[in-house]
Amino acid sequence: MKLKALLITTAASVLMSAGVSFAGPSVVSGPGVEAECFAPWSADTKFLQWPKKEGPYKVAVVNGFVGNTWRIQMIKTAKAYAEDPAVKDKISDFKVVSTGTDAPAQLGAIEDFINQGYDAIVTIAVAPDGFDRVIRLADKNDVVIVPFDNVLDTDKVMQVNENQLQMGQMWGQFALDELHAKGVKGGKILEVRGLPGNSVDRDRSIGINEVFEKDGGDWEMVSVVGNWDDGTTQKVVADAIAVHGQFEAVVGQGGSNGVIQALEDAGHPWVPIAGESENGFRKAIAEHSADGLKGISIGQSPGLVAIAMKAAISALDGNVMPQLISVPLPVATYKELKDGENYWSDLPDNFFTVNEFPPCGVNISGPAIMAQDESDTN
Amino acid sequence: MDTFANKLSTSFRQSRGFYGALLLLIVIYAFYNILHPRGFSSAVLVQNANETVAIAFLAMAQTVPVLLGGLDLSVGAVMTLTSCIASELVSGSPVEILFGMFVTLLSGTAFGLMNGLIVVYGRLQPIIVTLATGAIAIGLALFVRPRPGGDIDGDLNWAVTNSLWDFVDTYQLFDPDATWFAPFAWIPVPLIMMFAIAILVWLPFRKSVTGRTVYAIGSAEGAAYMSGLPINRAKIAAFALAGFFASCGGLYLAIQTSSGNADVMQAGAYTLNSIAAVVLGGTSLLGGVGGAVASLVGACILRVISFYFRIVSIDPLLQPLIEGIVLLAAVSLGALRTLRVKNRLDLFR
Repeated sequence: MKLKALLITTAASVLMSAGVSFAGPSVVSGPGVEAECFAPWSADTKFLQWPKKEGPYKVAVVNGFVGNTWRIQMIKTAKAYAEDPAVKDKISDFKVVSTGTDAPAQLGAIEDFINQGYDAIVTIAVAPDGFDRVIRLADKNDVVIVPFDNVLDTDKVMQVNENQLQMGQMWGQFALDELHAKGVKGGKILEVRGLPGNSVDRDRSIGINEVFEKDGGDWEMVSVVGNWDDGTTQKVVADAIAVHGQFEAVVGQGGSNGVIQALEDAGHPWVPIAGESENGFRKAIAEHSADGLKGISIGQSPGLVAIAMKAAISALDGNVMPQLISVPLPVATYKELKDGENYWSDLPDNFFTVNEFPPCGVNISGPAIMAQDESDTN
Repeated sequence: MDTFANKLSTSFRQSRGFYGALLLLIVIYAFYNILHPRGFSSAVLVQNANETVAIAFLAMAQTVPVLLGGLDLSVGAVMTLTSCIASELVSGSPVEILFGMFVTLLSGTAFGLMNGLIVVYGRLQPIIVTLATGAIAIGLALFVRPRPGGDIDGDLNWAVTNSLWDFVDTYQLFDPDATWFAPFAWIPVPLIMMFAIAILVWLPFRKSVTGRTVYAIGSAEGAAYMSGLPINRAKIAAFALAGFFASCGGLYLAIQTSSGNADVMQAGAYTLNSIAAVVLGGTSLLGGVGGAVASLVGACILRVISFYFRIVSIDPLLQPLIEGIVLLAAVSLGALRTLRVKNRLDLFR
């Protein structure tokens, strides 16, 4: 009976609070705070402002899929950043959960943290849709939800990402410039694509292809699907070399270690290669750039989680924030690589190198992340 | 002579696994609520119910073929397919919405029926048939919805994923603050739907000749055949019912997320979890013992275990490991009976 009475009273209190209209952020005019770090996506991006809350805040990270290096490194980065002196005093509770590729579980975890009274929830969405209910609840409770990396098709929440289309264009342009410098005006280009059906894969591929189309040279694009995975990429690139013989350049979205391995195994001459930010790829560029491996490495950084956390805290402080934040692309070409600075010869090949965002004051270096003890922050 | 107490003790002896699972669920769920800052509130119950519905329906779907002694590897895929269909149809006027729901449930049931027909008349193993048809379902889902999205009615989403109070409030059925309504107002709509379908569909089925034949086939198919039971009919019905339950899960998933998403990995994860939930509920993978309500309890246990990660502090990278160990421990509880068998032949039951 006591339980029932308790349930009824809490239900009643919930009902009374339900009568209040949705709070949530108000749309205000820019510019936002710290524009060099929280850059608006485009000129049309609107600006949001949440009511200021008193810190310190309770912050949760709700990850979806876990089990590849990128995600594990992302989680380690989140924990390292929560301990960073710049934000440590502003965070009272910090929790990370991974729900797997299960939309109801992820939505449930977000709602649970709202119920628990968390102030900010940072998430990598498992699907670009379906968050209407939790967004409504978050607005009602003045909770800031910040999706990053895999973002949502909505303009009702603040989101953080890198511009994937621009990344594709830069990869394509670099390869083209290197080919022009060698005097090559046409030939076969190998494009290695990512996970099919994913918006990131789509945007990067559009960027790459439009550069080569605009050039007017006699380029034949050969596309293979590598799923952003080293093993798959190595196989499909090896197959492509077996069928087509030789490529003038390789433009890959990910699994770059696999590209290098396949070229090496096939005895394919070194050509310009564009790829992600894996440590092994950068090691290879540094080693072979004199032999023709002119490489560019741009990464979707696991460090985005730190920017998302920083943005969430800034929003809770009552600052004006862009609705869609574009994080500058971390680019390194063969000219700029330096051991111990933007790649590490003593760290594993599948480590993602780009983690530092100087304009944001996020400076967690590779060795610091790898040294992150897995049992202390909880 | 057949008093209530007698009935209860018989039922307890016959389904020890189920009562064990129920007890486990009550204990771990109560403890979760004690630890939760807002434990024992309607908001927490609503959230938990929402998260559990899809996997609970899939666990019920999986139960029926498992009772036959088979496995249905297509349940996750059928859920995905039907959620994609629902994301196209469940919008517009109330009549259109109801029609969309009907078509969604019908398509899932039809898919299950097809599984049953292939298993029976193709004389094939269910596990192989459903592996293949599961891939077909995913293919169809991708065809219906190549990219995530959809346009499910927003009011429906809000009303169905909340407490009864919000349901009544959203559709203006009557004054939700009426005093007679207060004792029920906190109950989550998803819980009601889950139990309503379990009671209205599963219990009558189990009592029917077809339903009892399903159990008989799982225990001893040869004996069931020799007794003149309708074996083919029972098998086909079992797979069709599995399709129906899976489409209930798909419909709810679509309403809950207001969209459809032909997510291959999610379909696979749900199929595997449905098998885990069935075993947790005390249904034997060998067939003949268990039931859909037990699997519903199993699905709840599976979910509650993961709820704990948000309350207690466990290293994020260790969470899958811990979840696996707890699952293994929970399933092992069901094997405790083997310690007290008097006759070694009992182990083969």
